[in-house]
Amino acid sequence: MTLILSSTSWMMRQVIYALMLGIVVSYYFFGWGIVLQIVLGVITAIAVESAFLALRRRDIISSISDGSIILTAILLAISIPSIAPWWVIIVGVSFAIIFGKQLYGGLGNNLFNPAMLGYVFLLISYPLQMSTWPINFLSFNQALEVVFNLSNIDAMSGATKLDEIKNSLSLLGSIQQLEIYLPSQAWINAGFFLGGLYLLFRKIISWHIPVSFLVGIVITSVLLWISNVDLYIPIQNHIMLGGTMLGAFFIATDPVSSSTTLKGRIIYGFLIGVLIVIIRTFGGYPDGIAFAVLLMNMTVPLIDVYTQPKVFGK
Amino acid sequence: MGNYSFNGGIVIKNPYLVNKVEIIQASLPKKIILPLQKFDGNAKPCVSVGDYVLVGQVVASIENGFDVSSHSSISGVVLSIDTQDIAHKSGFKFQCITIKSDGEDKWIDNKGGNVDFLHYSKETLVGIVQKSGIVGMGGAGFPTHVKISKVLNCHTLIINGTECEPGVMCDDALMQFYPKEIILGVEILLYICGAVRAIIAIEDDKQAAYQALLTFNRNDRININQIPTKYTSGAEKLLIKALLDIEILSGSFAINEGIICQNISTTKAVFDAVINHKPLVSRIVTVTGNGVYPNNFEVRLGTSFEHLISMASPTNTKEHSYRTGGMMMGIDVVDINMPIVKTTSAIFINNKVPEPIVQECIRCGQCSEVCPIGLLPQQLYWYVKSKNFEKALNYNLPDCIECACCDYVCPSHIPLVSYFSFAKMFSKQQTIEKNKVNSARERFKYREHRLERNKLERAQIMLDKKKALKEKMVKEQFQKQKITETIQRLKQAKDKI
Repeated sequence: MTLILSSTSWMMRQVIYALMLGIVVSYYFFGWGIVLQIVLGVITAIAVESAFLALRRRDIISSISDGSIILTAILLAISIPSIAPWWVIIVGVSFAIIFGKQLYGGLGNNLFNPAMLGYVFLLISYPLQMSTWPINFLSFNQALEVVFNLSNIDAMSGATKLDEIKNSLSLLGSIQQLEIYLPSQAWINAGFFLGGLYLLFRKIISWHIPVSFLVGIVITSVLLWISNVDLYIPIQNHIMLGGTMLGAFFIATDPVSSSTTLKGRIIYGFLIGVLIVIIRTFGGYPDGIAFAVLLMNMTVPLIDVYTQPKVFGK
Repeated sequence: MGNYSFNGGIVIKNPYLVNKVEIIQASLPKKIILPLQKFDGNAKPCVSVGDYVLVGQVVASIENGFDVSSHSSISGVVLSIDTQDIAHKSGFKFQCITIKSDGEDKWIDNKGGNVDFLHYSKETLVGIVQKSGIVGMGGAGFPTHVKISKVLNCHTLIINGTECEPGVMCDDALMQFYPKEIILGVEILLYICGAVRAIIAIEDDKQAAYQALLTFNRNDRININQIPTKYTSGAEKLLIKALLDIEILSGSFAINEGIICQNISTTKAVFDAVINHKPLVSRIVTVTGNGVYPNNFEVRLGTSFEHLISMASPTNTKEHSYRTGGMMMGIDVVDINMPIVKTTSAIFINNKVPEPIVQECIRCGQCSEVCPIGLLPQQLYWYVKSKNFEKALNYNLPDCIECACCDYVCPSHIPLVSYFSFAKMFSKQQTIEKNKVNSARERFKYREHRLERNKLERAQIMLDKKKALKEKMVKEQFQKQKITETIQRLKQAKDKI
């Protein structure tokens, strides 16, 4: 079997390489869980995609070698808790590929970001498994035991920081008494940020979406924070917690489901940023990236119509 | 003069650089094939099979105002007049005259040399250009005499020396070797179209050509302007934008704005026609690509690609692929026995490589970033692929100049321009069909209307006739009555007597 090398698959590979730094940082803090999730995710993705391509009588090798499903699987695997049971990622990746991609007609035809579709599906279906995060480094054996349900996970897990802040806020009524700095999350975000810079540098993504995405987050969170310093978390936490950088550089920039015009990309990214802060602050879920991205995915056809560039001589 | 720019376009480094640009005289071909079909018209052959013709002799004459003459480029015998394949985008067969060389290269008596063109009237010069068979030699092949005579209130003449197709260097060579002739050619064109000024636009990677023209330019109405090397700057409307910051409206033409663009090769051909009385029988063709040492050849029109290729690269020709025009906008030559025509600027000889595998469009948008027209190729592709031509037209498909920038950057190697030119042709055909149907309907309606009108008219005529008859009868009766009355009166008078 010879893999067909081309620029689209080159782009996908570059994105996967750029993710590595964030993954390594994540591994440094929480151990082998993330590696297991990625392996499970990628194997599932290849299996499900092959099966579907066979059903649709399409060329399996060329489709898989474009790398897009592997990227989808990795994005979903690093979005979910690294100690989620093994079937969670399998269900999520299968859903993402079948309902997020193949049923639309395969690569390039999907309306929604498949990874985020899978994520939201998991979040709604298995809220408990999807909100239990590791708190320490897990060795390979520990991770294996947790992921395959071989031992009790309570000792090693907790809620996400954003979740925790939200819960504590409702109890305490003020943000001032909370310890909200969490180095591990900040470092993981920094890892994805650097990976994102690499993508910008290699011109695989354009600056429009990440920049407007972050500007959207900053403006909205500053406005909220100014309106009530006690009630809303400050902007640095919005930037450093949750999946902000992963979302800005790797998820919102998915070319297939994002706007294709330059102006449209700025609107698209900005509104995702705004929605994320709103969902984080007022919504029922800890992080709003997946919902914000899917909501904006729906608006892309409309944005694209109204942001067409000026045609020469018209 | 400031340098403006246009959006999009791509910087492509010339992949086949040479140290020194040269022009080699190609050997005489054994036979030539001259296509007769021109831009819109169809010049009529004025020789018959078996005739002996000289170099420069008219073999097809002008039928209407759009035509240009065709001349034999060798001396010899007319072999055939029939339809043949030409390396043309349409893929149609064209009517051609085939001439077999006698190897003598005997010219017609053209008594040229150092004519002062100012003695001629503008109309005479336009006629000379038309009768010398000159068309736009950059690629479009639009008849030059039409451009220079149809322009209104011409203020600027632009000489396109950008040669923006990477690798092509035929205009570069002309500028380096014939700067004096080109400047004089520009002066002739300036005189004909009455422009105030002329701008010779040269891309800034052609320093030698720029310097050569500078040295010979003594005319302060002629500006020599360097523009940044960027692909598609040779497209007429974009060049005008880059030089003058004037945007020619979609659907309009430069000549409507008082601007004329002419190619360097065309300018040289005008010089030859007017000053040397030499019709267009040869042109400079660049032979380049990774399968050959890049060079320029002066080739007789109608020479087969095969003749030129064998001269440029005597190596095995089975391993190569051939492309004429340019790597971006050119077309693949399927049969190297096809002839070189007036618009053939280059032939690319490349080692055969496997075709890249086409993948799905991931809507990365790189195509719209490089589109100089500001189109959204990914959306157009989507609509054309789903045969939604109406939507594609709404997305300004007809404005696509088919420059292939989108093809070049597409990471999925989608042949976007092929889709677009197909859609353009298809929708054009559809419009024609629609118009046909519409005009048929109009005709039918008119016929109905006419029949109805005739019926009414006939009825009216009948009515009138009846009326007239009645009136006549009444009149006759009246007369009869009068006659009988008179007779009676006469009788009475007689009786009285």
